[in-house]
Amino acid sequence: MISNTHDAPLLRLAGVGKIYGRTAALSDVDIEIRKNEVLGLLGDNGAGKSTLIKILSGVLPRSSGTFEAGGHPADIRSRHDSAALGIETIYQDIALVGPMPIWRNMFLARELCSRLGFLRCAEMRRTTIEILHRGVEISGVDDPDAEVASLSGGQMQAVAIARAVHFRSKMLLLDEPTSALSVRETENVLKYMVDLRDEGVSSVFVTHNLYHAFQVCDRFVVMSHGRKVADVAKKDTSIEALTRLIVAH
Amino acid sequence: MKKTGVAMDGRESVNIPAWPFGASKAFLRDPAANIVIILLIVQLVCIVAGMLWPDDFRYLSALNMKTLLRSIPQIGFIAIGVGILMIAGEFDLSVGATFTISSLTLAMLHGAGIPVALCVLAALSLGAAIGLVNGFLSLRFAIPSFIVTLGTMMILRGAILFVSGTATIPFRPAPWFDMLLTGEIGFMQAQFIWLVAFTLGAWALLSRHRIGNHLYAVGGNRAAANAIGVEVLRTKLFAFAAAGVMAAVSGIVSTTRVSSVSPIQGQGLELQAIAACVIGGLALTGGRGSALGIFAGAFLIYTVQNVLLLVGAPGYYLEAFIGMVLVAAVIANGIMNKRA
Repeated sequence: MISNTHDAPLLRLAGVGKIYGRTAALSDVDIEIRKNEVLGLLGDNGAGKSTLIKILSGVLPRSSGTFEAGGHPADIRSRHDSAALGIETIYQDIALVGPMPIWRNMFLARELCSRLGFLRCAEMRRTTIEILHRGVEISGVDDPDAEVASLSGGQMQAVAIARAVHFRSKMLLLDEPTSALSVRETENVLKYMVDLRDEGVSSVFVTHNLYHAFQVCDRFVVMSHGRKVADVAKKDTSIEALTRLIVAH
Repeated sequence: MKKTGVAMDGRESVNIPAWPFGASKAFLRDPAANIVIILLIVQLVCIVAGMLWPDDFRYLSALNMKTLLRSIPQIGFIAIGVGILMIAGEFDLSVGATFTISSLTLAMLHGAGIPVALCVLAALSLGAAIGLVNGFLSLRFAIPSFIVTLGTMMILRGAILFVSGTATIPFRPAPWFDMLLTGEIGFMQAQFIWLVAFTLGAWALLSRHRIGNHLYAVGGNRAAANAIGVEVLRTKLFAFAAAGVMAAVSGIVSTTRVSSVSPIQGQGLELQAIAACVIGGLALTGGRGSALGIFAGAFLIYTVQNVLLLVGAPGYYLEAFIGMVLVAAVIANGIMNKRA
């Protein structure tokens, strides 16, 4: 196989499956996630979207299949592996710790420490201020000491995304990131995904809302009962066609 | 929604407050702020009353000061361990029994002629081991730590009576050891200095160390901490071990002070320690609290006891008053948090 690492997809999945007991939650899924794209991952409840996201983010081991990252064989067995590949997940139930301030959340599990493990607090607070100002149009938060529990859903989502971006992720996995957000906050998150794509961060966007998906995605993968049933570029499809695909299967 | 007041209009950008202002703001954000203020007020009232009626209210007498500074550490050490564990989202009801059984281990090994340093090491190790067993049982089998440690408390209480009968076991270490742990300089007591040192250690751990950051995270939102990559089980095990070790520390110091161990010692300490933590602003749900709060909570509990003793209240008043202080503190903290 000739693989040109420049044009190779960020991540290629071949024949990925997941079996729980006797039920196959995923079977034989082939997906490519390319550079500079927002991929919509669509499908009805139980289609296997969340299972796939969990496998990609390393919290769930796959039962079968292979991964390739940038044209080279890769493996994702743990959160550590996915982080090493530059994959960050944004969850619908936001993975932030409410009682902790923003800056501690920003660096949680990736703290800047002295050799003895003592925190370099001032540096982390300063960096958090910078991060918040870079993403300020979406967050509207600029106090690194603000407790995360005091933020709105959209602000929390912004903090989670800003954290992922800061740690140089190449790919965001967003699992229903807007389900708890207001209309305006949703618009901001969608816009942010497009901005990030233009800066070179790809996204996999799981949603039930086809209008949102159509607004930001470059390509769509439709799943049904654990299988991939369609993989189309935006220019080759329409909301109606996608709806038919999701409902038909 | 926003608490800063700095960038409400979006004009002002980076604003790091000057030190005194920043420090006071940080202090007021600390859930322990209320309790520290209350503690200071109580101290002030006691001191003034002690000066006005020096014969009737002997708060300021050298004897009372010594008693106070000797007694706070017993509950203080335990509360530090229990507090660290509560911040990580778990409970330990077995610390009172751990206190007693580590004390027994210390006294019996020393009585058998083993050097005191090794006896101390054994007592601390036993405390850590009990904590780790509690943690393992609770985490491995997904049983609430409240239940697991209720069980280990009863098992340990049984073991204590089995080992010692009802006899009091003497502990008479070398004078240097006695001086080191319970000596006095003027009215200042060595064990109180140790408590301050351990409190500073707990502050450094909780607020300034990576482990502390993880302790708050697993207590504040276990699922999120796990998703972000915090080692949840290891972090919680650490906290369980800390609770056991601190119970042993308290046992060692108390045994040295009274020169003996009685098997009924340590009963009720677990609930007093939890009370001290709750009074000090730690959330029962985990993820919130500070070393300062734990210290202040323990200090306040013992001050209340001390005042009741000084005014000659019957012994059974003590528990009732601690109960009242506890409930009042929880209500006050709830109100303050809502207003914040």
